[in-house]
Amino acid sequence: MTDLTQVNKAVAIVNTQAPFSCAAGKEALDATLIFGSFEQAVSLFFIGDGVFQMIGSQNATSIEAKDYLKTFSALEFYDIDNIYVCQQSLTERNLSTNFHIDNVQILTSAEFSQRLHEHQVIYRF
Amino acid sequence: MQNTLALVVTTPPNSNLTTSAINLVHTAINNNIKLVGVFFYQDGVLNAAKHLSIPSDEFQTLKQWQQLNSDFDIPLYLCISAAEKRGLSDELTDDKSNIDAAFTVSGLGELVELTSKADRVVQL
Repeated sequence: MTDLTQVNKAVAIVNTQAPFSCAAGKEALDATLIFGSFEQAVSLFFIGDGVFQMIGSQNATSIEAKDYLKTFSALEFYDIDNIYVCQQSLTERNLSTNFHIDNVQILTSAEFSQRLHEHQVIYRF
Repeated sequence: MQNTLALVVTTPPNSNLTTSAINLVHTAINNNIKLVGVFFYQDGVLNAAKHLSIPSDEFQTLKQWQQLNSDFDIPLYLCISAAEKRGLSDELTDDKSNIDAAFTVSGLGELVELTSKADRVVQL
């Protein structure tokens, strides 16, 4: 096995889809947590409909969906604290910042882009 | 030193992005870029379905993956939890497994490994 600690590469996981209509959000979170458990530098980004994944008080069970949003609380455990949300995407959807997790940074489009460019690998979900 | 590439396929066989992924692998080989592996995640795992039957006048993705694996030793890693969610299983007996033999059953840990190993990572 490669010695992962020798590799200095930051991974961005970019979420672009709403939480419960398809599995993308959950599969993105699964991947994020695995990167975290291998102690890799990983950040979460939410843009477009992906910002719906941040909104609190959602009732997944009413549509027979697994409430994977609860699992976001595990991010802290893996020291994943770079969580970025696109402000423009929130505004376009008339969404408040009533998020279900703390420690979320809301960025302008320019800041969002700049932060994304600081990563060497980008996975889009 | 030879450049290395890891490829992540997240689209099903009938997506044109999968065709692009296969074309990208061929181009990489022709340009002396070493493929450290292809990782299949999300709907991309459906590429490993053994019983896939695409009309003969259409692009044969499974045959392409098989050839890339046998001719160029390109490892094809399958995320088994994503695969099982979509009806693929290696827990059936050998002759009944519905995962093609060219694919290596693995997990997201392999994605981490490939990501750190390769000079460049491309997702389709």
